[in-house]
Amino acid sequence: MFELTAILKQPKQKSRIGAAKGRDSMASALAGLVPLSFLLLLVGCASRPLYPLPGKRYDGSKKPLQTFRPYNLAHRGSNGEFPEETAAAYMRAIEEGADFIEGDVLASKDGVLIMQHDVTLDDTTDIAEHKEFANRKRACNVQGTNTTGFFHFDFTLEELKSLGVKQRYPFRDQQYNRKFPIITFEEFISIALDAPRVVGIYPEIKNPAMVNQYVKWPGGKKFEDKFVETLHKYGYRGEYMSKQWLKQPAFIQSFAPTSLIYVSNLTDLPKVFLIDDITIPTQDTNQSYWEITSDKYLNFIKNYVMGIGPWKDTIVYVSENYLQLPTDLVARAHALNLQVHPYTYRNENQFLHFNFSQDPYKEYDYWINTIGVDGLFTDFTGSLHQYQEWTTPSPSGEKSATKLLDKIGSMISKYRNPQT
Amino acid sequence: MFELTVILKQPKQKSRIGAAKGRDSMASALAGLVPLSFLLLLVGCASRPLYPLPGKRYDASKKPLQTFRPYNLAHRGSNGEFPEETAAAYMRAIEEGADFIEGDVLASKDGVLIMQHDVTLDDTTDIAEHKEFANRKRTCNVQGTNTTGFFHFDFTLEELKSLGVKQRYPFRDQQYNGKFPIITFKEFISIALDAPRVVGIYPEIKNPAMVNQYVKWPGGKKFEDKFVETLHKYGYRGEYMSKQWLKQPAFIQSFAPTSLIYVSNLTDLPKVFLIDDITIPTQDTNQSYWEVTSDKYLNFIKNYVMGIGPWKDTIVYVSENYLQPPTDLVARAHALNLQVHPYTYRNENQFLHFNFSQDPYKEYDYWINTIGVDGLFTDFTGSLHQYQEWTTPSPSGEKSATKLLDKIGSMISKYRNPQT
Repeated sequence: MFELTAILKQPKQKSRIGAAKGRDSMASALAGLVPLSFLLLLVGCASRPLYPLPGKRYDGSKKPLQTFRPYNLAHRGSNGEFPEETAAAYMRAIEEGADFIEGDVLASKDGVLIMQHDVTLDDTTDIAEHKEFANRKRACNVQGTNTTGFFHFDFTLEELKSLGVKQRYPFRDQQYNRKFPIITFEEFISIALDAPRVVGIYPEIKNPAMVNQYVKWPGGKKFEDKFVETLHKYGYRGEYMSKQWLKQPAFIQSFAPTSLIYVSNLTDLPKVFLIDDITIPTQDTNQSYWEITSDKYLNFIKNYVMGIGPWKDTIVYVSENYLQLPTDLVARAHALNLQVHPYTYRNENQFLHFNFSQDPYKEYDYWINTIGVDGLFTDFTGSLHQYQEWTTPSPSGEKSATKLLDKIGSMISKYRNPQT
Repeated sequence: MFELTVILKQPKQKSRIGAAKGRDSMASALAGLVPLSFLLLLVGCASRPLYPLPGKRYDASKKPLQTFRPYNLAHRGSNGEFPEETAAAYMRAIEEGADFIEGDVLASKDGVLIMQHDVTLDDTTDIAEHKEFANRKRTCNVQGTNTTGFFHFDFTLEELKSLGVKQRYPFRDQQYNGKFPIITFKEFISIALDAPRVVGIYPEIKNPAMVNQYVKWPGGKKFEDKFVETLHKYGYRGEYMSKQWLKQPAFIQSFAPTSLIYVSNLTDLPKVFLIDDITIPTQDTNQSYWEVTSDKYLNFIKNYVMGIGPWKDTIVYVSENYLQPPTDLVARAHALNLQVHPYTYRNENQFLHFNFSQDPYKEYDYWINTIGVDGLFTDFTGSLHQYQEWTTPSPSGEKSATKLLDKIGSMISKYRNPQT
């Protein structure tokens, strides 16, 4: 079960804290943020409850969440570099400076909440190579389209854990394919809680209608109930910007308004309403893009959510790969005190419109400074963090006086001799 | 001859100086850096001598060349955004902050020096659509390979000027295809001299053996003679970093050592020896990569050149799209006081190795801070400039005291209220 080849192909990363091995005690293994031992642990100890180390939960000395500039939302982890929604992708995102790690929650056949984006396993796992599962292929209706593939809810957690996750895009690094497993929602939470600074979580209630159709829980519980239960179990509670919330920040996101309204009765954690492309109606209420972005609807939904998450090309249309004039969606949302967290920013030039000269930093500049969004779902956490650190660096607190003097010193020292 | 359709498809750029039109006097048309009128002029007045405006040549108030950080060398102009080696590409590069504009010099059938990279016109012009030239297609030996196509030296300048340049890479902006003509070496020089700040030129003596074989000049003059003549005519002279040189900076580059040695007798302008991939011998002396990068050869060539321009993947090898440990080429060159200007940096992810997380700024950081090069040939002048401005901003001279106070003010003002 141990993927020793993972050790050989690990990129050269210095771990900040020393290694701690041993399977017997989850506690000792969680002693540090060492990717390898943590991964071995995840592989070996899937679905056991994870107990926090004494003193490892929130304590006053953890660097708090930044709240002075737009949120860096690590979309499926750093999936520009690692296969999406794996422990490696999330830990890399935290390393690179993510404010929140984001991911999609679905459920296994035996009702365990897992981190997985697609309802089928075909594009992001090596399911095709597992001949033992070949007969599980089937066709289901997914949001109006008949889709054939291997559906996640046809596999128990143990079976899902036997698969290897792969990088979905062929032009991204393929070297980690099949090396990392699917992780559970609880494992995702642990990664955030074990970070050396406060890192928030941004889980999505994904395809809830489909999950509830195919997966049943005892006691008549639904997907949304289990979702919130898990959050409560790990201490996630509190309104946006409350003291509790800032210790363990979390946003709940979904494309399904009924699910968001339903969980509003279960938790006061902040929620975000995701909005798909203009041609796609909501999966649960079959409402059009135009209806759910109307002032009337936004006025209604803002009783339940504190923000919206639209697809960025619906905020600013694109024609012949050039941006058009922005729509008024952000302006209207902001007028109603709703935050805007668009998706998804990617570095590759095929995703960048020509206004940005194939430069992802120009795209960040436009969305942050011209459009004025409040958070960005990005596949490249490191690039967004670098952009923000260069243009709006974090204030350094007590050390600022010394830092100012340092900065003045370096400004003066630039008056060097010309190159010879 | 006037390309009025150009107005419709120009991207929205504000011109810093007002427009000046009129074909009669080249002088009045050179009054400002207005892309459109300058282009019209280039189209209408090809190959007339360009007279400088009184007071438009170097005067002390022009912002001087920066020399405190590695040079931003606009490789073929901003050809990430515009078709390569056109006036538009060069003017855009100057706008974006280039220190030098770079280009390849070849010659037309009637002996006019032109800016053109390929010896054939097929990949970068609409020659295929000009049925009147269909019979000029032929096969020639280009550096050992039989190549079929339309060769630049089979066309007079007038004929070349009837062609439209196109963007060579399909994944870059195609909207300017056919809109701009090939420009002459003199026109290239004028663009640099008319810039509102000091901008250097970095012309290449391209394929001299082939040019001299197919193009003849009266009086037994060779390509290299005409090349230097043109530079002298416009006042380019002086050793590297001399007062004269800083007024009108220029580097002469070539893959052909004999040409560099030859022009050393004609001008003391600094020269740079370009080095091709490890499998490709020099075009004139048939020496291998290993020979021309040996300490012995570098010691020899440094009597004639002040720097080398290698292909970057020969400085740091690449395996499975990851960088290997660097070779010692840069170290040895620097030990001999030779500068290193590698080519070519491009933003698109297919050109970025995986170490850089699909982020061109990480690549700049590696080459500038880890490898320590002295100049970078880039297709994306704007991105390199932005990187340099963020990490090693230009000192601002007399205004620095005010600027420091501004910076201190903005550092303090970041202690804002958290997001609500």
